Amino acid sequence: MSPSTSLPSGLVAFVKRDCPTCELVVPVLQQISAKASLTVYTQDDPTFPPGIPAVDDTALEQSWHHQIETVPTLIRVEGGEERERVLGWQREEWEALTGIPALGDGLPALRPGCGSLSVDPSREAELSVRFGGSKLHARRVELAALEDEMEAMYTRGWSDGLPVVPPTEKRVLEMLEGTTRAPDDVIATVPPDLVACTVEKVAINAVMAGCKPEYLLVVLAAVEAACTDRFNMHGVIATTMGVGPIIVVNGPIRRAIGMNSGMNVLGQGNRANATIGRALQLVVRNVGGGRPGEVDRATYGNPGKLGFCFAEDEESSPWGPLSADLGAEPGTSTVTVFAGEGPRNVIDQRSREPMSLARSLAATLRTVQHPKLAIGFDAMLVIGPEHARVLKEAGWSKEQLIERLTELLTMPGEEMMRGVDEMAEGMPESFRSQPVTKFRPGGLLVVHCGGSAGLFSAILGGWASGPKGSQPAVQEIRP
Amino acid sequence: MHDSADLESRGVPTVFIATEPFVDSAEAQARALGVEPLGVFVPHPIQDRTNDEVRGIADEAVAKIVNGLTTGGISFSRN
Amino acid sequence: MTSEQRVVLDPTSEQKPKSIPRAPRLASLEKRTIGLLDISKPKGNVFLDRVEQELRALGATVERFQKPTFAKLAPVDLRHEIATRCDAVVEALAD
Repeated sequence: MSPSTSLPSGLVAFVKRDCPTCELVVPVLQQISAKASLTVYTQDDPTFPPGIPAVDDTALEQSWHHQIETVPTLIRVEGGEERERVLGWQREEWEALTGIPALGDGLPALRPGCGSLSVDPSREAELSVRFGGSKLHARRVELAALEDEMEAMYTRGWSDGLPVVPPTEKRVLEMLEGTTRAPDDVIATVPPDLVACTVEKVAINAVMAGCKPEYLLVVLAAVEAACTDRFNMHGVIATTMGVGPIIVVNGPIRRAIGMNSGMNVLGQGNRANATIGRALQLVVRNVGGGRPGEVDRATYGNPGKLGFCFAEDEESSPWGPLSADLGAEPGTSTVTVFAGEGPRNVIDQRSREPMSLARSLAATLRTVQHPKLAIGFDAMLVIGPEHARVLKEAGWSKEQLIERLTELLTMPGEEMMRGVDEMAEGMPESFRSQPVTKFRPGGLLVVHCGGSAGLFSAILGGWASGPKGSQPAVQEIRP
Repeated sequence: MHDSADLESRGVPTVFIATEPFVDSAEAQARALGVEPLGVFVPHPIQDRTNDEVRGIADEAVAKIVNGLTTGGISFSRN
Repeated sequence: MTSEQRVVLDPTSEQKPKSIPRAPRLASLEKRTIGLLDISKPKGNVFLDRVEQELRALGATVERFQKPTFAKLAPVDLRHEIATRCDAVVEALAD
């Protein structure tokens, strides 16, 4: 402890005027100071207590360093070291600590103290920045005097085009309250620059995205999942196709942080949905160095590259969660990251039979990327609740749905050849004499969410599968 | 500095003129903004001088201005 | 943010300073339009009048622009106007 924060030897008391117990023990403090060396630190008004010279600790530096949680606190200090302390007024304990008998005659034997100002929630973040800022390792950037703080974020290239929240130390420390992990823990290597990314860097970008601290765990898991070899974030960034990482959240955390899995689930409005996806993309941009016009070569991109994150509606789903399809324990909180583009709507307001609905879905799925291209691209089918009900009433499991769709999406090779239907695009000659299935085994994911009104489902076209492509990655959300 | 940086980002070559004491501040701001606009520095002060003196200073600065707009050879020169 | 809290944490990898590249320079000033942006400091106009004279003598066309006050950044429409009308710009005179 630095000399400026070590306590003087003898007896030390921390008090504040705005505390009935501190008021109560004023005569006791006077008694003690007459018989022993007593230093009193006052948190709010240095003229309190009357009759005893007090040290002004309105900046709360001493209180913070000595972790004062209650006032009054009485401490015995020997050789610069704290030996014991008592919280609140307790006659017996105070007499034992001070060695002075008959303290506070006429006062009740005990009275609990009040909250110390240094642990007041509204001040704690500010104090920890002021006195404990050494937790943070990122470079401090001081803005020029005339710079507008919002413009400053743009000028430095930190924004994705929309305004970002300036990541002050206070905001970042508050964000870091959302995890028990140390700020300097490295959680992932982020492409394309292959940078070791710490919890702190994720927190900084999460602040910028507009996340609340309770979203941080989801963001951390998403960064971990996206940076796995299997997901191949480098490929997802560098491709000319318009995909970005889509985050699907499963498990109890969805409700705990108020995510949306219903009306407008793939759209705007819900803070958790909007900011978690955004935080991941800001990490890719700022930490990884993945930016449009540089490594990011997308011809069109898609609006989801600002951020694309939603919660599965597990509660009204006829089936298990997406995470379980990818090997996670059902009921655990997870993120699944899938390389995908913007949604296409599928209308089917007339199917009452499951096969009819399956044919509508298959006919639309056929056209992902191109009707005559197959195998190379994955897709995610987002089944809406009204469509799910048709399938549920027919007793179809998710596996059965996928099996039927796979059959419906298996075409004779001849139909898919380049040049067929006077379209030059298509499958190469080597596929002519075999049936060709649109999606590779495991390449069609199914998730359940959406508003309860609307006989629609949605399709999120995917990116390349296979060794040069991306595979969906699941990550458990851990504290 | 901000105007220069903004115009540069729009593809317009720009030079800003400032007096000598501004060199450090200009360098710091440029670094902060991550830009490299060109600066031509002239003797300080300006506002206390006669118009003739100011014109003389302008004459000396023109060569550097032209250099800065056409060849990009100057960076925070103190000459 | 208050005037004390003008510090933010760097969200990047901090690996290399990212520099916004300069716009390409002109081959020559002849027949080009050079904008002179007066940032309204005292005597700035005298300085720029002289610069204008010299640039004209070198074959350039010169356009003059004025910023409303020296403390503020040039308004958006002014910058846009300058950018669309000029091939190069001289901003003066900070002192």
